[in-house]
Amino acid sequence: MLRYDSTSSSAGSSSGSLSSSSSSSKPPQQDIDGLLAGAGYKVRSSELRQVAQRLERLETAMGNSPADFSQLASDAILYNPSDLACWVDSLLTEFAEPPPTCSSDFIVDPVNNQTVVNSAWTTAEPHTPQVHQNITYDEQQSLDNQLTVVTAMEEDSGIRLVHMLMTCAECVQSGDLSLATSLIGDMQGLLTHVNTVCGIGKVAGHFIDALSRRIFQGMGGGSVNGGSAFENEILHHHFYEACPYLKFAHFTANQAILEAFDGHDCVHVVDFNLMHGLQWPALIQALALRPGGPPLLRLTGIGPPSPDGRDSLREIGLRLAELARSVNVRFAFRGVAASRLEDVKPWMLQVNPKEAVAVNSIMQLHRLLGSEQTRNSPIDTVLSWIRGLNPKIMTVVEQEANHNQPGFLDRFTEALYYYSTMFDSLEACRVQPEKALAEIYIQREIGNVVSCEGSARVERHEPLAKWRRRLSGAGFRALHLGSNAFKQASMLLTLFSAEGYSVEENEGCLSLGWHSRPLIAASAWQAVPAWDNHMSSS
Amino acid sequence: MNYGFLSSFFQKDLFLVLGFVFECLKERGMAGSNEVNLNECKTVVPLNTWVLISSFKLAYNLLRRPDGTFNRHLAEFLDRKVPANLNPVDGVFSFDVLIDRATGLLCRIYRPATAEEPEPNIVELEKPVVGDVVPVIIFFHGGSFAHSSANSAIYDTLCRRLVGICKAVVVSVNYRRAPENRYPCAYDDGWTAFKWVNSRSWLQSQKDSKVHIYLAGDSSGGNIAHHVAARAVESGIDVLGNILLNPMFGGQERTESEMRLDGKYFVTLRDRDWYWRAFLPEGENRDHPACNPFGPNGRSLEGIKFPKSLVVVAGLDLIQDWQLAYVEGLRKAGKEVKLLYMEQATIGFYLLPNNNHFHTVMDEISEFVGSDC
Repeated sequence: MLRYDSTSSSAGSSSGSLSSSSSSSKPPQQDIDGLLAGAGYKVRSSELRQVAQRLERLETAMGNSPADFSQLASDAILYNPSDLACWVDSLLTEFAEPPPTCSSDFIVDPVNNQTVVNSAWTTAEPHTPQVHQNITYDEQQSLDNQLTVVTAMEEDSGIRLVHMLMTCAECVQSGDLSLATSLIGDMQGLLTHVNTVCGIGKVAGHFIDALSRRIFQGMGGGSVNGGSAFENEILHHHFYEACPYLKFAHFTANQAILEAFDGHDCVHVVDFNLMHGLQWPALIQALALRPGGPPLLRLTGIGPPSPDGRDSLREIGLRLAELARSVNVRFAFRGVAASRLEDVKPWMLQVNPKEAVAVNSIMQLHRLLGSEQTRNSPIDTVLSWIRGLNPKIMTVVEQEANHNQPGFLDRFTEALYYYSTMFDSLEACRVQPEKALAEIYIQREIGNVVSCEGSARVERHEPLAKWRRRLSGAGFRALHLGSNAFKQASMLLTLFSAEGYSVEENEGCLSLGWHSRPLIAASAWQAVPAWDNHMSSS
Repeated sequence: MNYGFLSSFFQKDLFLVLGFVFECLKERGMAGSNEVNLNECKTVVPLNTWVLISSFKLAYNLLRRPDGTFNRHLAEFLDRKVPANLNPVDGVFSFDVLIDRATGLLCRIYRPATAEEPEPNIVELEKPVVGDVVPVIIFFHGGSFAHSSANSAIYDTLCRRLVGICKAVVVSVNYRRAPENRYPCAYDDGWTAFKWVNSRSWLQSQKDSKVHIYLAGDSSGGNIAHHVAARAVESGIDVLGNILLNPMFGGQERTESEMRLDGKYFVTLRDRDWYWRAFLPEGENRDHPACNPFGPNGRSLEGIKFPKSLVVVAGLDLIQDWQLAYVEGLRKAGKEVKLLYMEQATIGFYLLPNNNHFHTVMDEISEFVGSDC
């Protein structure tokens, strides 16, 4: 079961639930123990004693059988370890009541009308709603303006190149285009002395190209990074194969969607960017193996219109339908062709009020952001109608980067760190042409961030901290991703990827990074019911 | 595409026996000594420290399996980490450096922000340090060789503090951990980091164009600091001082403090044994020199130019007899060592600045490093 920031209080806790804290005079963050916060734990000072008591109870429960405890406890699914009170509680719950007994599960095979015992499947543990302190902490702290970098050992010419890139970007920002142009020339010369196969040399080349395009096309405008939808899909597919970022996004989102769909017989997934539908076979398979049988699955895939009369969305839909049939999942597909996400209207999705809806956005929401905060901007419109659908879950995966800053130099600097880390991680990929095409995929992103402006600049990545604020403000609350999703992501990395990738948990969200730098973050959300609105104002 | 493994994650073995086990535990009730222990513990540390260390203890119990394996996924999920931050916070900025691609060895470097360049950018990361004498502290985090990382929140905080009080650059080493990586991996990584630091021209003090290196660490990190120092002097490279906070040492014999304090202040002998078994080569016992450097298999440092040491021992740490024996071993070999015995301190007292021991120790560290400037 997914955990969520709940306004309901649990019987066992006497701490203030959200409904009372909204009327308390002290804003939640002032009551947080500052020293424990520094250690990564959010505990209200007023609750320290209770948390201590619960820790003691757990310790007593451990008693003389630490071995059993370890075995059993490690099977528990834990959420949001920063909320110390909460996870101590969840462990206590784990041991306070015996779990439901395991019964054999039967799946009726619709084709043969035979029952098949599926002993591999057991029901998930029911979780009693816990108090989740809806603590809004000051995100203006270091989190917001985080500037992280992992550097590899570079030679001097690499450092010089970076120096020149920064100077050039500064010139572009201040409008000194003639100096910028001459720097471009110098840098291209320097490139010949630097190892362009890996490290800073490789990514520098792409940034030099992007800068020169920006300079020579004049500020503003700039062409959208060409490429037909077909080309983009190919590049996307190779990026998917070459490194684990998209796989992580898909598996993590699928896990959350699967849990959200638990107990529902009619489910509807709305995919904001279908591409080749790579995310869905795994979900279809998982639903097929669900205890109690699969639901009726509807998938609505949004994607750009195909230029040459082909209906590529439908083609993907047909392939997925075939897969679904092969595993006996009743499946229906609808394609919605739209060049921009903001052109999609909710009626096009034909959501049935009886369905459980999952909205899935893998690196799409940022495209709706403009550089200015205007009312009724595309992001607000879209978030509003998503909320209107009352989805069981909205899965959001975004690049963990601050590429939507108004100042060009800041954006450029951030992008330089971000993409050099990403390129570094790509070094581990040995498969061609996946690697080369993945690099072009990333290169196009760089080009968009650096050389485009206005409506042409669609790669407006914002970090998780900003998305949290934005989504909370739009009437969504976080559904926490737990230790099971974390473990799945970690194991995915072991199976598919080289050493150096790391998964991190951050207050209910998961991120995947290269060494210590997170590059992509996954989170899950649910619409706050309308009547709750006045209590959950951020 | 391998979908098969997906189903194993949705698998959950339900234990009919769980209910039964819990009933048994309930019946055993609160063992008298347990109750006393918990109360004793709480009187000697502030409440938030108690909560912090108890939650570590709880988490760590979940992670250690009786068969000697370690639940690494859950460990990484539970560990609270913080990213590096180029934006100075309280005058300190940090960045991560990959110093060995082959092993993926990362270090987090902490530098003081200067008045002239309050907001460093990428080209200033490795700007030469300014000063006649600039101490560089290579820090090894604790965690009994198995837990924590250089980017763990508690150690990020500690390293930032060290920058401030010592006016130093701090290099925190993300060494490989047990049980996946046993002895000598942690020491090798320490040595790699040491050589890297020693060869950075931007870390050289202006006075003599040399890097002024101190080695520091808590718990297993203290143990690593000792061994890296030993290797350094063997290679003829100077180390200016060792700072060992509650260093992790042990031996085959059971000492008085181990028996007296077993289970009383967050730590049990059983868990100590587990960590040594996880770190030491299979088949070796605790008299291995890694664990017991001055024991039956150790060697004297007599005649070797070992650096001066500041050793902090917590009076409520069950392994203090081994730590005191370490200090004695240094003294007998004629090495300069200052012992700070903090009577009422438990493990981890240096993690939160809410007690006198903390401030005493920080002052001593500052003086220890400052005395060479």
